[in-house]
Amino acid sequence: MSQDTSNSPEKDAIVRASIDRSLRHPVMFFFTSGAAWLAVSIVLGIISSAKNHSPDFFGNCAWLTYGRVFPAHINALIYGWGAQAAFGAMIWLMARLSRQECRAAGTILTAGHIWNLGVALGLIGILSGHGTGMSWMEFPFFAWPVLLLSYTMIMIWSLVQFRVRPTGHTYISQWFLVGSIIWFPWVYLTANVLLHCMTGHPVMAAGINAWFKSAMLLLFFLPVGIGTAFYLVPKVTGKPIYSYTLAQIGFWSLAIIAPWAGMQKLAGAPIPYFLPYLGAAATVLIAIPAFTVAANLIATAMSSGDTVAHSPTLRFTLAGLVGLALFGGAAVILNLPDSTLPLTQFSLSGYGFDILGLYGFFSLVMFGAIYFIVPRITRREWLSRRLIKMHFFLSVYGVVTVALVALFGGLQQGIGQEQFDMGWDNASARATPYAIAITIAWCFILFSNIFFFMHLTLMWLRLGRRSSHPTLLVDPHHGSPHGPEGDIDNAGPGTPSAAAAAGAH
Amino acid sequence: MSFRNFLLGIFASFSLAWGLVVVYPFFKMRAIKPIVLTEATDGKDGLYFPKRAGRVANGATVYASNGCYLCHTQLVRPTYAGNDLYREDWGGLKDNGDGVDTRRETNAYDFQGEKFAQIGVSRLGPDLSNIGRRVESVYAKGKSPEAWLYNHLYNPRGPVERRNSDCPAFRFLFEEREVKGNRSADALPFSTDEDKEIVPNSDAKALVSYLLSLKKDDAVPAVLNFAPPKK
Repeated sequence: MSQDTSNSPEKDAIVRASIDRSLRHPVMFFFTSGAAWLAVSIVLGIISSAKNHSPDFFGNCAWLTYGRVFPAHINALIYGWGAQAAFGAMIWLMARLSRQECRAAGTILTAGHIWNLGVALGLIGILSGHGTGMSWMEFPFFAWPVLLLSYTMIMIWSLVQFRVRPTGHTYISQWFLVGSIIWFPWVYLTANVLLHCMTGHPVMAAGINAWFKSAMLLLFFLPVGIGTAFYLVPKVTGKPIYSYTLAQIGFWSLAIIAPWAGMQKLAGAPIPYFLPYLGAAATVLIAIPAFTVAANLIATAMSSGDTVAHSPTLRFTLAGLVGLALFGGAAVILNLPDSTLPLTQFSLSGYGFDILGLYGFFSLVMFGAIYFIVPRITRREWLSRRLIKMHFFLSVYGVVTVALVALFGGLQQGIGQEQFDMGWDNASARATPYAIAITIAWCFILFSNIFFFMHLTLMWLRLGRRSSHPTLLVDPHHGSPHGPEGDIDNAGPGTPSAAAAAGAH
Repeated sequence: MSFRNFLLGIFASFSLAWGLVVVYPFFKMRAIKPIVLTEATDGKDGLYFPKRAGRVANGATVYASNGCYLCHTQLVRPTYAGNDLYREDWGGLKDNGDGVDTRRETNAYDFQGEKFAQIGVSRLGPDLSNIGRRVESVYAKGKSPEAWLYNHLYNPRGPVERRNSDCPAFRFLFEEREVKGNRSADALPFSTDEDKEIVPNSDAKALVSYLLSLKKDDAVPAVLNFAPPKK
């Protein structure tokens, strides 16, 4: 980390405290409104998933027809929750790692409100029947310049901070975060300009949309999640990364492979042959960064078993990293051109893959980051160990069910689709039981996230515990109810108070 | 590694893929040339220009904004990418009534009049590349294809063989109104009130017109015809 080592521990703690204070409201705004959108998105997800097996559920309501609720669900998940959780984590991590206070909190907060307004109007647009019909870009035309502008106003300060940081080593998290800060507007601008502002060939437009979907997942949500995990795991365990070279390999393999992926969705469509198969190959190769990062960080945390069990941050982050490894495995299994690609191209698997990346990896790491960051910027501790535990178990079991059921169910559905000598009923009936399982699993995830949202709101209102004992997930029968004694805030490695808190958070 | 080299690396790795799989193909496909027919192979001279009738642009908007693409595809894949062509009525008809097999894969000229090809996300329902042909020749069986589609959109689980369909009902695309004078020719047989009739609104009309325009089974030029030679 680019730390000026000439600083004394006390000075260090003051710098960290002032960074945290300068970012309190923007970061809490992004996390809390993100969590609210997450709950909205899950409600919409339950409605849409229920319609997969019970099509007459809310059957007569135009605003809640499947073809509008599903895009609203996925767009709320991406732009409402995902992007905002990412913004909160990114601006905080970039400020901490560059050791710069945020001097634009007001601008960021304003831009954050504009972003939320854009998302809200976009969702109303989708639900009222003005969606564009392009996956992950269903917001009506007006939304994209608004979102891009507010993104720029939010993230530009992090690049400025990075430029004026004290010289020294650039930590791997900063690589991933700076990468995603640059990739997101490039991808977003390209897709929106080519699809909304220029006339092209309709099939190529569909190809660009498929590329956009993949690039958003692989070049924004993946690097933000990975960058955050590279910060959290060594920080909480107090151990250096298992292999720094492997971390660099993870970064460059992602940077080189991911931009080629996505067009495998158009296998067999009338576009140049190399595009879909290059896309399939690149998506398979995503296993390389996914496995190297997951293995590297899991190995880092391996020797600190107790900390993993007790720290909410580490638990969520490691669950997310296991999700990342599964994501890498799924990328291989679903995209083999001669065997599985024809089965998964138009089945539930695509949804399972997206949810595994967005929730099974990215969101779990973001929850980890939120459990780490919020006590530091509010100077209050989480209220309830039980709520955190419930959030963890319901989220993890829920997302594992959604993702694995969708991946496996999608393969089954694909097998039915390819059986051309059977009627179409055969193929559509195969999807039904999996759809029911997905609905139930989303209900569990909703339950956990409503409480998470309330917990987070109380923290923003500074109603957290005034205590110097971090909330750890320990069994109350052993020792103090809140874990070992320790200084709560801003005690990084090196401070005497931190030594006592080793293992906290 | 210096920041300059880092940025160079990111720009190089991203812009190479960006240029080769997004921007260059976009501009190449935008300027796609019409196919010239030749007397020797196609039986006539001129340009290949498939005709398409109906409210294509309006209907495509309704199709997109109501999310039809989430459950229905519009892509009949070649045999190397899937088994779509073997289904009897997806790529055309196995027997068009004259004993001719009209099935073929989707080509780049099939999406005329549309801004965005609704290749689709998932297949909870069947492929719609030839839904217009299928309704006319198979489902409606000589009756009005429009009426068949209106009934289907209003009540997709109506016919007993479709009772397990997961297709949503699109009742909001219809309106119930008082009968004034003669009944509308498009009125659906679902009204319980003698003085009222259920008629499609303009979105439903555009959508049905669009769906009936989906007939991607015309004879293609020899250069696009990948069907095995007839014995």
